[in-house]
Amino acid sequence: MLLCDFHIHTTYSDGSVKLRKAIDIFGQAGFDAIAITDHVVNGDNSFGKLAHRFKYSVTSHNFSQYMCHIKEEAQRAYDKYGMLVISGIEITKNHLSIENSAHILILDIKEFIPACLSYEEIFLRAKQQNALIVACHPHYMTRTFDRDTLFLWNNRGKYARYIDAWEIANRDDIFNVVGLEKYPYLANSDFHKPKHLFSWKTLLNCVNDIDSIKQCIRHNKGVAVTLFRN
Amino acid sequence: MPVFLVLIVVVIALYLLEMLAVRSYTSAPGSDIVPHACPPVSILKPLKGLEDCLFDNLESFCNLDYPVYEIIFTLQDQNDPAYKVARKIKDKYRSKDISIIVEPCDEGLNPKVNNLIPAYKMAQYGLILISDSNVRVEKDYLTAISRHMEDPNVGLVSNLIRGISAKTFGAAMENLHLNSFVAGSVCVLDKYLDMPCVVGKSMLMRSVDLEAIGGFTSVKDFLAEDYIIGQRIHALGKKVVLSNHLINNVNEYWGIGRFINRHTRWGKLRWQIGGIKYLSELFTNAVFMAFIAMLIMPLSTATVLFAAAVSSLKIAHDIYIGTRLRSGLSPLLYLLSPVKDIIIGFIWFVPIVSNTVNWRGNRYIIGELSALSPMPETGLWILIYRLLRAPFDVSR
Repeated sequence: MLLCDFHIHTTYSDGSVKLRKAIDIFGQAGFDAIAITDHVVNGDNSFGKLAHRFKYSVTSHNFSQYMCHIKEEAQRAYDKYGMLVISGIEITKNHLSIENSAHILILDIKEFIPACLSYEEIFLRAKQQNALIVACHPHYMTRTFDRDTLFLWNNRGKYARYIDAWEIANRDDIFNVVGLEKYPYLANSDFHKPKHLFSWKTLLNCVNDIDSIKQCIRHNKGVAVTLFRN
Repeated sequence: MPVFLVLIVVVIALYLLEMLAVRSYTSAPGSDIVPHACPPVSILKPLKGLEDCLFDNLESFCNLDYPVYEIIFTLQDQNDPAYKVARKIKDKYRSKDISIIVEPCDEGLNPKVNNLIPAYKMAQYGLILISDSNVRVEKDYLTAISRHMEDPNVGLVSNLIRGISAKTFGAAMENLHLNSFVAGSVCVLDKYLDMPCVVGKSMLMRSVDLEAIGGFTSVKDFLAEDYIIGQRIHALGKKVVLSNHLINNVNEYWGIGRFINRHTRWGKLRWQIGGIKYLSELFTNAVFMAFIAMLIMPLSTATVLFAAAVSSLKIAHDIYIGTRLRSGLSPLLYLLSPVKDIIIGFIWFVPIVSNTVNWRGNRYIIGELSALSPMPETGLWILIYRLLRAPFDVSR
């Protein structure tokens, strides 16, 4: 089984460690596949403007630099650790109300997608790139109330058909509602600090290449979750 | 004031002694210039959990400039996260002689020794190297330490260690302590007091000597198995050598809790092994003593100046030793040295009132010479046992 984490932040947004170090933390721990998913924040309200002001967001201006850096580090990680590093972003639509907030991972992204687009347009652009769409922490979480993002779950009747997988677990929280609806699922750390290494993870029973991983997640066959502890 | 001046002189003398001892080891000629036969070595690597930079640590043993050696990674449980890292290393270095043994063993109470017992059975060669998983070495490490074994009177070789890579407060505390108190004490004991002080992070010995002292089974119920092995090999009439080849102890993301836990455990070891000599550690912790003087005496210019002088001297001492060890610690981190010593000062008292240790998730009662016994059932009486019986439960 491949040990995977598809939700990792670096100093390109609000993570505390640089891209190279984040990759090394996972490589040193024996991971097989990870995705770097820094925030792309909507700039159409005061939350987003603050995120842009303090450079907590990948933007259209630094996206190509971000991608080049990931590609360079991915090669190093593969050579050194045999670990696959996938480029991604976390579309971050933050609003005052948690019912209107949503975070969406776009994995294996090639071209920039602004977070201020409509949901349909974001999904369409992701599909055009054959990227994987994952709904992040879609339900109530303990302790970190400020990260609750319920929009996609509350509107799943409308949007579920676009979403390839839902985070059934995020860091220390598990959302059994996703399992109950029989949606495809993943479990990720939402890594921001080194201590987040020890959290929920995904195990995939497939070959360690990007196409096999995407297929495995989309078809939800050979997917398991594990609480990674030391 | 005169009392404080005398104390300052004593502190300077103590610090100078440590600095001279460390200097003598770190300025000795490099071992790599001495050509010698390189007999085959079996490296036993007990693994449990993810140490910081585990992949790099294990990989450093695959790149040794040494003709013939084998690496045996040994674990108790295939679900241990270190297993996956060991597998990756084995897959990456297919041409190297690497084995992974997963074999539960509950012969003793020391989990590290339980890990070593099955590995030792698999070892092919006459020289056995025990190496912890949080250790990273240079390419010439094995050549440097094996040269001591050319002398048939040498029974065991251990190494000076230095803490590297601190990125958190807890890790900085740990590395400061390793690069001052631990390095200084090991050098002073070995150089001036002729007391072999074996730190188990790296121990090279002959299998015949190990078997002569009863093998790993004979130390399975001791927490300080490294100390006991060193003492017993010394008792065989063999020399226990401290190699001047530095090895790296990688401590990157430690929390302060882990630092406190480790040094409480090590303090309990020294209390059980050293007995009354353990008291000397308190009196040589000059920063802590100065801090206590400030607390219990009326605040005066003399006490404040004394504390400031002692702290400054300690910072200078730690910078010197850290530099000699080439630890690579940021100079600013040394400003935390007095804080670390105050924490260590408070930790010093714990072994006096508690004889239980928590090690890798297991809790034991620790007795004379660090002998372990299982922790009894929990309950109110155990609190009484720990607090009241502990000080009287050890032979001095």
